[in-house]
Amino acid sequence: MVKKPLEILNENGLHALPASRFVKLAEKFDCNVTLEKEGVEVSGKSIMGILTLACEKGSTVTLTCEGKDEKEAFKALRKILEGQD
Amino acid sequence: MLRERILKGIAVSQGIAQGKVFIYETKQVEVFQTPILPVYLKDETERFDRAIKKTKHELRNIQKRLNYEIGENFAQFLDAQIMMLSDKAIIRKVKARIAEEKLNAEYVYHNVIGEYAEKLGASKDTYLKERVADIWDVGSRVLRNLLGLTHSSVVEIPTGSIIVAHDISPSEAALINPKSVLGIATEAGGRTSHTAITARALEIPAVLGIKGLIGKIENGEKVILDGDRGIMIKNPSAGKIHFYEIAKKKVLELAKVLSPFSELPAKTQDGRRIDISANIEFFSEYTHAKKYGAEGIGLFRTEFLYLTRRGSPTEEEQYRVYDALAKRMKPCPVIIRTYDLGGDKIFSDYREANPFLGWRAIRVCLDELDFFKMQLRAILRASVNKNVKIMFPMISNHEEVKRIHLVFEKVKKELRAKKIDFDEEIQFGIMIETPSAALLSPHLAHQVDFFSIGSNDLTQYTLAVDRGNEKISQLFEHFHPAVLQLIKQIIDAGHQTHIWVGLCGELAADPLAIPLLIGMGIDELSMNPGSIPRAKMVVRAITIPECEEIAKGALNFRTPLEVKRYLRRNIHRKFPGIDKVIK
Repeated sequence: MVKKPLEILNENGLHALPASRFVKLAEKFDCNVTLEKEGVEVSGKSIMGILTLACEKGSTVTLTCEGKDEKEAFKALRKILEGQD
Repeated sequence: MLRERILKGIAVSQGIAQGKVFIYETKQVEVFQTPILPVYLKDETERFDRAIKKTKHELRNIQKRLNYEIGENFAQFLDAQIMMLSDKAIIRKVKARIAEEKLNAEYVYHNVIGEYAEKLGASKDTYLKERVADIWDVGSRVLRNLLGLTHSSVVEIPTGSIIVAHDISPSEAALINPKSVLGIATEAGGRTSHTAITARALEIPAVLGIKGLIGKIENGEKVILDGDRGIMIKNPSAGKIHFYEIAKKKVLELAKVLSPFSELPAKTQDGRRIDISANIEFFSEYTHAKKYGAEGIGLFRTEFLYLTRRGSPTEEEQYRVYDALAKRMKPCPVIIRTYDLGGDKIFSDYREANPFLGWRAIRVCLDELDFFKMQLRAILRASVNKNVKIMFPMISNHEEVKRIHLVFEKVKKELRAKKIDFDEEIQFGIMIETPSAALLSPHLAHQVDFFSIGSNDLTQYTLAVDRGNEKISQLFEHFHPAVLQLIKQIIDAGHQTHIWVGLCGELAADPLAIPLLIGMGIDELSMNPGSIPRAKMVVRAITIPECEEIAKGALNFRTPLEVKRYLRRNIHRKFPGIDKVIK
């Protein structure tokens, strides 16, 4: 399991378009992807879940990847959160 | 006789419409709770799956249509909607609850969607709050499919209607049929809303942001919608009806006379070619530019890319739009202007007392270099098409141009290092729209390949008049001698340094101004696509020496009124053919 708190650096927070990019990418991996913010945990493969987390720029979320391709998944997905994709 | 009432809003799409009000309400779909017998539970989940599939199919079709009509960048909101629709967590939750609660699919789905919408609505972030509308837009579509209801009353609107609504959802706006809908008026929305863009793309008049509209108007009543002035007239008086009928007739007659000119070159009687190009705001407007005979895009306002998606487009997204525009316009030139945004549009917590004198346009870009460089890379990459030029807005001093050059060269160097192709000869221009830039133009000319005079802002800054302020808007005068003197100086400065000078702004489309500007030596005029045939007609009626004579005399007056009187008299004397297009 790879788990780490990350700061959202994406210019507009995790809004509809970056969130949809996140989900599209997450779906390419077999591992479980979850995002947690202030005690609320949602599936990283659910756009509605991610939107309801209201991840503004500067907020902190914990990204967890669990499964056989967890390392690659974590590396790729963190880029979106940090606005480097 | 009922009293006439004028309802004011924001003019977002030009034109005049007279028709019957059709109040379009996005009715909440009514959902009832029905118990399902255990043997039918499987059927119920299958019915739900079918509704999701059907909805996905519908959204894909809308997206295809929008991609084709307006451009891919615009239709992206549908990507997000399709993802919301196919969200596995929601589908799983709905199916589990159908089985568990033994209740009908629409009831369960409505509740689940409602829970998400509520969470999102509680967010502090205004952008996210607005996504609640997206969720219900998708959700209602699924519910209507589950209930076997037809959607979009927009499609079924009777011919000759003016749509009146609180707001029109993006996927609904996409279905508006310009054959039956004469105009659009809404309570919500502004210049950059989806409805505004759709209306402009379809060339139907629209006035948005009319406060309390629905309470003031009834279904079926006859109204006049004036998309030029941003008003809707309720119970129009006989005089008003007559006024608008004549105005409409004139517009139609003139359009008939002028339309052949869109095909003809803009060449004066004595053979000088004047470049007539189009100002456009979003990608799909290139079709209007072509239809009306533009010989290029003189101003592509990139801020709409930013505003319509409420956030910075990535380099890739920008590149795709710039590249597609360059390809469609080939071999005609496309001038891309970098973001002319106020700081408040980019940073939601930024406020300032004097936005027009504040942190805007190039000033923001030079402070936010990553943001700026992303746009420069996208424009440079699109320049491989060889017909792209770049232009920077709101220049007010020499250092800014120097700094832009440094950043621009750095971005080019980075691209070369990455072996990414671009046009090494790309023309670099600046807008001259502040009095300081106008007065410094002899110096600035040495640093650039062209000038484009932004006559609207130049007028506003020179005269210190905010035209949006009703109390002083009468002071806003393009024909003010001070403005004309500056324009003359800018053109002369450009020509002394052998660079070309264009003008984009309302003055470029004014038949009274065209002979004057040409007489002053302007090389290019860029305007609303719809004004191009008229401008070509004027250009084709004139000769250079006579325009030069007009220009020489025009700078000797003290007031705008005297200038206009002089121009009218002389144009009438020298080129009587133009009279009919001068107001």
